Amino acid sequence: MKILVLVKRVIDYNVRVRVKSDASGVETDGVKMSINPFDEIALEEALRLREAGHAEEVLVVSMGSEACQQQLRTALAMGADRAIHLATDDALQPLSAARVIKALIEREQPGIVLLGKQAIDNDNNQTGQMLAALWQRPQATNAAKVELADGSVRVTREVDDGLEVLELQLPAVITTDLRLNTPRFVKLPDIMKAKKKPLDVLAITELQADIDADAEQALQISDWQAPPKRGGGIKVDSVDALVAELKSRGLV
Amino acid sequence: MSDIDKLWLHQHLPGIQASQQADDLASYGSDWSRLREPAPAAVLFPQHQEQVAQIIDCANREGLALVPSGGRTGLSGGAIAADGELVLSLERMRQLDPVNHADASVRVEAGVVTASIQQQAERAGLFYGVDFAAAGSSQIGGNIATNAGGIRVLRYGLTRDQVLGLEAVSGKGELLQLNHGLIKNATGYDLRHLLIGSEGTLAVITAATLKLWPDPGERQVLLLAVDGHQALLPLFMAARQALRLSAFEFFTHDCVRHVCAHAGLPPPLEQAAGMYVLLECDAVSDEQVAALFEQLVEQQLVSDGVISQSRQHAQQLWQYRERISESIAAQRPYKNDIAVRIAAVPELLQQLDELIQRHYPAFEVLWYGHIGDGNIHMNVLKPDDLSPAAFKQQCELVNEQVFDCIQRLAGSISAEHGVGLLKQPWLQYSRTPVEIDIMRRIKSVLDPGGILNPGKLL
Ligand SMILES: Cc1cc2nc3c(=O)[nH]c(=O)nc-3n(C[C@H](O)[C@H](O)[C@H](O)COP(=O)(O)OP(=O)(O)OC[C@H]3O[C@@H](n4cnc5c(N)ncnc54)[C@H](O)[C@@H]3O)c2cc1C
Repeated sequence: MKILVLVKRVIDYNVRVRVKSDASGVETDGVKMSINPFDEIALEEALRLREAGHAEEVLVVSMGSEACQQQLRTALAMGADRAIHLATDDALQPLSAARVIKALIEREQPGIVLLGKQAIDNDNNQTGQMLAALWQRPQATNAAKVELADGSVRVTREVDDGLEVLELQLPAVITTDLRLNTPRFVKLPDIMKAKKKPLDVLAITELQADIDADAEQALQISDWQAPPKRGGGIKVDSVDALVAELKSRGLV
Repeated sequence: MSDIDKLWLHQHLPGIQASQQADDLASYGSDWSRLREPAPAAVLFPQHQEQVAQIIDCANREGLALVPSGGRTGLSGGAIAADGELVLSLERMRQLDPVNHADASVRVEAGVVTASIQQQAERAGLFYGVDFAAAGSSQIGGNIATNAGGIRVLRYGLTRDQVLGLEAVSGKGELLQLNHGLIKNATGYDLRHLLIGSEGTLAVITAATLKLWPDPGERQVLLLAVDGHQALLPLFMAARQALRLSAFEFFTHDCVRHVCAHAGLPPPLEQAAGMYVLLECDAVSDEQVAALFEQLVEQQLVSDGVISQSRQHAQQLWQYRERISESIAAQRPYKNDIAVRIAAVPELLQQLDELIQRHYPAFEVLWYGHIGDGNIHMNVLKPDDLSPAAFKQQCELVNEQVFDCIQRLAGSISAEHGVGLLKQPWLQYSRTPVEIDIMRRIKSVLDPGGILNPGKLL
């Protein structure tokens, strides 16, 4: 079986994100970029499934500008077998992204598509679900545990009132939650090996995915703003002063 | 001194916040070393420099001992008050001024927590050079009083190298404003540097102006498997040549074992190694790091290694080093914090290893440290079948031999944790009688009444 893992290039989780001064987006110049943490978990899970003998190949795919080849190289160094860079300079909406991946799936025929439940840049939490619908295959979102048996997969999800266990027929789409695993570090000996692994570039136009121009227009970002600065706290000397202060602000 | 009560405090130290509650006495009277049972008479919380001077005047008048106190993360008992002293806590003096962009500096009061200086610097796009595992609790006053080092000394220097200006009150009660944030000032004895590292025995530090550095940009962390301590020095030299290092730390596999058990972390590498080096450097290209790694493997200096690809990974890798101290704290290890010149590190490790093997085979000894500064932390864990008293006694016997060895290599018996109570009996292993006598004479000028931290350091 082949596992296809989607990895998105995003601003590193630990970077303090700044809005550009002209409010046209967030600052990415000179900013540390990394694999979306949820996708990294998806990749780790795929590697573990392969190591347990459930899969023969882990294929990593990233969509975007040439820069995302850096994240693909990291994924190869972590242990993926092959990478495809779906080249585009447009930032696609989740539906279009799902359509492109769907077109790639037809070529690659994976048994499982693994991806993060969301990317930490836009927090959409949509691509996996849309992909499953377009592909007309089962989906398990927010996976906290993944167990493979012949031809099917059991996925445990952490839901409000406990654990929910789903059993899906393959092929299927699985999106990952934070607690599924802890991704491995990149081994130094594997950095050189990663250089020798195949990384193919495919323009998304070549895939003939029917990206719907209207859908791309449907949602437009008009403005970016930093969250309002938090006002400083004040100190009061007694409980009475605290109550008086809360009252004066109409909070009690 | 048992007659110090609420009324006494009110009459002798009007306007100064104080506590004599049992839990405050216990916690403010001790530090991380827990070397002695805390028993201070009271804890005082001055709010500005004049109140510090007022307390010092009172102590001189009444012949009372003061223990200056910061975050109490000290490891040598310097902040312990076990004999009815007054603890002078700087904790309520924690004004953190806005960053001065032109000077690239910031003025902070003594009670400011170390980590918040870094946050303030980062908000201004700058960087504070000193960091270590206790930075979330230690205070800048304590850092200056101990000349704290930490994990980035090899790039940014010690706390001493960050201090551009110092405000303090001497043990005689004189208000001091030293060096005023100047970079250049060739006007005689630099009293600022005399106070840095004086462990609260000469003056109470009330504020400092600290140097800030340009934002270092992206950094990466490598964790390398090293076969033995013979590899450490050539590895350091090769890494220093190839990379722009900001940290070069080492620790043994036993340390990793304790950290993993304590913090529930997976082992950092598939195969355990005898020893690890964690290094931090400016971001490097894959080609560069792969070439370096190949070279190191060829020279048989390292056998395996991992590299961070995100800040998250970098932080995770740092945990294997930063959490060693806390992971063994419950076992109350006997700590030795020693230094030699970098070139003498392999010899020191070799000699100490032999010494321990020969005389104390039953002891579990954990080695880690800032090897890029020639600084090694040697932690002896208590065997279960030994009483704490017998353990301490045996460790002190080891000390004599360890310190003999350090003396032969012209090293230091306390690299960065200070002398305090812990190393006071052994000061002569690192300082000559003449030096110690000069130190005493300096002390008598700045603290003629001997009220500041009596019994510590000297
Ligand atoms: C987990 C852990 C890791 C550590 N790692 C390092 C490390 O890597 N490098 C390192 O150098 N240290 C390290 N330390 C030791 C310790 O954190 C430092 O010595 C620190 O500088 C102490 O600061 P503090 O505010 O806690 O001082 P305290 O412990 O409160 O006091 C230390 C000494 O300074 C005096 N003092 C405190 N404030 C003042 C003042 N305002 N004026 C005059 N004297 C004062 C005290 O009397 C005492 O002698 C570590 C400690 C821990 C617990």
